[in-house]
Amino acid sequence: MKQFRLLLIVILSVSILLLGTACGGKASESTAETSAAQSSEQAQTSAPSEEPVKITFLNSKEDINQQIVDAIQVFSAANPNITIEVLSTGQSPVEKAISLYASGTPATLCMLDAGDIQKFKDKAADLSNEKWAAELAQPNQIDGKTLAFPFAVEGYGLIYNKSVVEKAVGGSFDPSSINTTAALEDLFQKIQSTGVAPVNIGSMDWSLGNHFLALAYATQPDNDVNKFLDGLKSGTSDLVNNPAYNGLLDTFDVMKKYNMSINDPMAVTYEQSIGAVAKGEAAMTFNGNWAMMEIQKSNPDGEFGFVPVPVSNNASDAANLSIAVGATKQIFIDKEKSTDAQQAAAKKFLDWIVFDPAGQNFLVKESNIIPAYKNIALEPNNSLAKAIVLYNNAGKSIPFAGNFVPGDHWKVLGASMQKYLVDKIDRAELATDVEAYWQAIK
Amino acid sequence: MKLCKKTQNLVNRMLFTGPSIIAFLSIIIVPFLFGVYITLFKWNGIDSDVPFVGFNNYLEAFSDKAYWVSIWLTVRYVLASVLLINSVAFAFAYLVTSGIKGQNIFRATFFTPNLIGGLVLGFIWQFMFNNFFVSMGQKYNILIFSKTWLGDETLAFWALVIVSVWQYAGYMMVIMIAGLINVPKDVLEAARIDGATNFRKLIHVTLPLMIPSFIITIFLSLQRAFMVYDVNYALTQGGPFGSTVLASMFVYNKAFVRLDYGVGQAEAFILFFLVAGITIFQVYTTKKMEVEA
Repeated sequence: MKQFRLLLIVILSVSILLLGTACGGKASESTAETSAAQSSEQAQTSAPSEEPVKITFLNSKEDINQQIVDAIQVFSAANPNITIEVLSTGQSPVEKAISLYASGTPATLCMLDAGDIQKFKDKAADLSNEKWAAELAQPNQIDGKTLAFPFAVEGYGLIYNKSVVEKAVGGSFDPSSINTTAALEDLFQKIQSTGVAPVNIGSMDWSLGNHFLALAYATQPDNDVNKFLDGLKSGTSDLVNNPAYNGLLDTFDVMKKYNMSINDPMAVTYEQSIGAVAKGEAAMTFNGNWAMMEIQKSNPDGEFGFVPVPVSNNASDAANLSIAVGATKQIFIDKEKSTDAQQAAAKKFLDWIVFDPAGQNFLVKESNIIPAYKNIALEPNNSLAKAIVLYNNAGKSIPFAGNFVPGDHWKVLGASMQKYLVDKIDRAELATDVEAYWQAIK
Repeated sequence: MKLCKKTQNLVNRMLFTGPSIIAFLSIIIVPFLFGVYITLFKWNGIDSDVPFVGFNNYLEAFSDKAYWVSIWLTVRYVLASVLLINSVAFAFAYLVTSGIKGQNIFRATFFTPNLIGGLVLGFIWQFMFNNFFVSMGQKYNILIFSKTWLGDETLAFWALVIVSVWQYAGYMMVIMIAGLINVPKDVLEAARIDGATNFRKLIHVTLPLMIPSFIITIFLSLQRAFMVYDVNYALTQGGPFGSTVLASMFVYNKAFVRLDYGVGQAEAFILFFLVAGITIFQVYTTKKMEVEA
């Protein structure tokens, strides 16, 4: 019987050990912190720059993954003791980051969408005193502290194919001449008379929900997105009578009328909508400067630009001439599981991107990213990015309201916008959907 | 070590089943219990401070209209799929055991779709519905195919059913072949001598004797249809306009996209009890229908 009991004890303890490692949680956290404290003390007594440090970087911009890997090779050549491992993720960086935290192995550097940084604010290292924080074109603070490194500035509006539009207007085209919904409709008619489809609306829920609909949040009279969203949450907003909302949908109705895929709007995928504009089959589509990668697949040499989406017929309305611009991808440094040496290495890498000429080259020239930093004088190569920089520098920008919404906004209200696209619901019902969604957010 | 017989038996049993028990405990039981634990808190998956909310999550799950719409949609999907899968599988099984030429090739062909994983299957069929059928429909003017099925709510539902039937009919067919072959020939012989037509033989002799196979196939197809996620995701992503969000996808979105783990897990439990209840009831009733030869 003794041996029977012994066997039982062995089996149960093996099971419990396995379960214990699966649960992780607070116990392993505190051991990691104490060992981190010990190793950082050791690092300080010995020469810190000589210690080999390995950090991980969660990259959510798949289209520039190769450029990031190349950049890290250059960085590691200059800093031989720092190795950076890149993890790439596609659709939802938040899900990947959460699962990394749950398994106890978070990435040292995490690149997330701006709206998601809020969720990780107690796990992000305070970067307010970093050198680059002083060079930010716009402050990037949560609760008064800079918790994330703005990686990419992006903007969206109506992308247009310069050669197609110039042929339609018979000369050079100035986007600022489109300052009302009526002017846009006029332009569409001119384009249609040359035999080209004026616009090809992409039916993607993320585009219609988080970008197009969000313009209604960003073009309110005082440009205060949070105040407007608070109004939506408390039910005091009366969206159906809101002038910016109605003006935006007036423009959308015009776009629907001249939509290339008017017979089957839901069949238009991202690739199709961009490809049509790149090849000149359509003159415009609603999307952002990140679409340049897709455009260059069919038309590497073409020139493109942005027309702002008009939200009224009032020619003096500043919002009609402004492009939504914001720092969409941001990187935060994990302070929960990363040792001090790892955090220092991560901060060094971020400094390198902003201040080292090789880093700036990677950011702007290789990856075609618009930087958020005043000290970087380089300009991205492609015409869309250049257009965004122009709008931004001229102060003709409105908030990137997609950064202020919860994680499922694009899924839920994107679906509602799709229903509006195919005329399944009308404006009043869409307004009810939007208000119902926000009122359910606690 | 000289162990007494009882202990030796136990050691043998533990040696063979131990690894499986440990795997089952750690992959299924522990997350299940952790899930019960989570339902009592309001957690978004990231925060370290998690407030205790007791049964609020369950109350919210029960009052969530969208969830019950999704469950009702799933029930309709299950009814359609289970009926069609089993009928088609039985038809295939009957065809393949009826002695026609090349029946082994048919067997292999019917079974192959089951070997393709759900995600790949969904993407292949998405291409079929969005591009292939549409171009065929436009070329030959077949009205029903000229617009993509995945853009219309009702047709997208049936697209899901069709893909599920295509995936599972082969698997169920294999199970039914085993059942069909085991129908005793002498009973069929006796029925033929008594003047029964092929049709009557089928209805009154073959089908009742195949009930054990039906128990298995109906159970499997019920359970798989209720819990479907991969085909749902790959084929429609819950579209158009979120009209084909089946129960598993709804729970996944609630927990991992909306980041409300407590309510998501509570809804997952409701789904679990629903499926468990239905399948146990189904096995119980069909077992009562079993007959001896």
